[in-house]
Amino acid sequence: MKKIAKMIIVLSVIGLVSGGVLAVVYQWAQPKIIANQIKETDAAVFKVLPGTKSYKKAVSGDLTYFNCFDKQGRKLGTAILCKGNGYQGEIRLMVGVNNDFSKFTGMIVLEQLETPGLGAKIAEQKFYGQFTGLATKPPIEYVKAVKPEKPNEIQAITGATISSRAVVEIINKSVKQWLETK
Amino acid sequence: MAGNKVKKSLFHEFIKGWWDENPVFRQLLGMCPTLAVTTSAINGLSMGLATSFVLICSSFIISLIRKLIPNQVRIASYIVVIATFVTMADLFLKGIFPDISKALGPFVPLIVVNCVILGRAELFASKNNPGRAFVDAFGMGAGFTIALLVLGAVREIFGSGTIFGFLSFEPLVIMILPAGAFITLGLLIGLMNYLKDITKAKEQPAPACLPAGRQAR
Amino acid sequence: MDLLIIFISAAVVNNFVLSYFLGICPFLGVSNKLEKAFSMGAATTFVMVLAAMVTWLINNLILIPFGLPFLQYVSFIIVIASLVQFVEMFIRKTSPTLYRSLGIFLPLITTNCAILGLALLSALREYNFIQSVIFGLAAGVGFTLALCIMAGIREELDLAPVPEHFKGAPITLIIAGLLALAFMGFAGMLSG
Repeated sequence: MKKIAKMIIVLSVIGLVSGGVLAVVYQWAQPKIIANQIKETDAAVFKVLPGTKSYKKAVSGDLTYFNCFDKQGRKLGTAILCKGNGYQGEIRLMVGVNNDFSKFTGMIVLEQLETPGLGAKIAEQKFYGQFTGLATKPPIEYVKAVKPEKPNEIQAITGATISSRAVVEIINKSVKQWLETK
Repeated sequence: MAGNKVKKSLFHEFIKGWWDENPVFRQLLGMCPTLAVTTSAINGLSMGLATSFVLICSSFIISLIRKLIPNQVRIASYIVVIATFVTMADLFLKGIFPDISKALGPFVPLIVVNCVILGRAELFASKNNPGRAFVDAFGMGAGFTIALLVLGAVREIFGSGTIFGFLSFEPLVIMILPAGAFITLGLLIGLMNYLKDITKAKEQPAPACLPAGRQAR
Repeated sequence: MDLLIIFISAAVVNNFVLSYFLGICPFLGVSNKLEKAFSMGAATTFVMVLAAMVTWLINNLILIPFGLPFLQYVSFIIVIASLVQFVEMFIRKTSPTLYRSLGIFLPLITTNCAILGLALLSALREYNFIQSVIFGLAAGVGFTLALCIMAGIREELDLAPVPEHFKGAPITLIIAGLLALAFMGFAGMLSG
């Protein structure tokens, strides 16, 4: 009986101390973690919509987007958070569209698990740079091995067509979803 | 394992983890993080340091309270102590080094189930005084970190054609893929076995010495 | 459809052992005989499904509502450890035959990082209850699959002339590498 009591006491004390210590550390770390997340979103939004000085987050269903404003508070456009399945796992990216929805202002890959050296090239400037200035209508298309001719076309990465197609599909799907919320 | 009766020198406790009892190459412990995060030297190093932090702190604390813990609940107690330090390390990384935290992903919390840590707690810290436990944990942590750094460096050199970002040539993509992790570690352990044999130069008849080309890959 | 994707993803495309490196210890340890590998896989799958359920409940009914996310790791590992203990006692009482074939593997499961990894990943991806259970089942099936394939190969390996210093762990790791390469062929099934 005494043994069991001791077991319970020891375990509870360890548990309490652990919980207490963690609570203190959490108090210290939490503001920093939130600040990091904000910094990350900031960086992404500013990159896909150059000239942005402030933005407002909006959520509708499972879609998140940011309405962006310039120094004078005029609306510049919208940064849309897109996600979907790639070749090996989920891809998260952000695209910017200008205010009259005529072209994309930029794209950045936030998270991806594609094959290093092949599909992972979607996170390189050479690929995502193609989206800057791309026409929004009709939906994006991709071409293989030849130079894109139409204003809504990008060139797929050699050896990683599936990853390239996944990115195009993810963007088209999220943009369509965003248009429906308007 | 070093028992309580035969007191080995502190220096021995410290140095054994580096080579003779290297947790990765010799004891084959802590394989999951070893394989998963070593896509680059810097990732391997950060994972090694995070694990060493947890290992050292929890070994010290466990050794400090070893006489208070009833035998039946010792594993549970160890796990709680370890998980507490892991959470601390995780929060710290998330707060101060968000990039590293992102690169290591779920493998930071998985330090909890790294058998190296529970193994040291059970085999060493629970039987030795805090000072010795600290030294032992420090040595083991160093050994673990070295192993991860070596693996990460090899995979980075061949897989990305860089080392800590420098150097550059056409990379072998396979080395950064999961497959490359298994194959590199397999070859490294094989090489370690070979080195150990030739350094000891035991007179046991070594059957079929392996062809040199086999490990040069 | 969503559930099917989760299942296929966890079982083959992102196989826990071969692409997430979870559960490597038992993978190297008990993959030398096919029969043993299958028992281990079955026991692990069972615990995985249970763990997926219980950790989901803890996370969504206790930790999140009370704002205690920092206790996630501590509570998950305690739950898993007690769950394994409980399953062990239960099997010992109800089916001695099953206990004899599975019993020795159960304690090993506590430190199998695949279980904790499963709990953490499904919390991270914010799966709902059904998704978590399917994820747990798929992870278990994938683990069993990898273990059995490996065991099948290793049984043949006994007859192969492996260089002396590569016997045991090194050759097993190299084979695992080749298997991982083969499993890459499944990638791309997700985006279809």
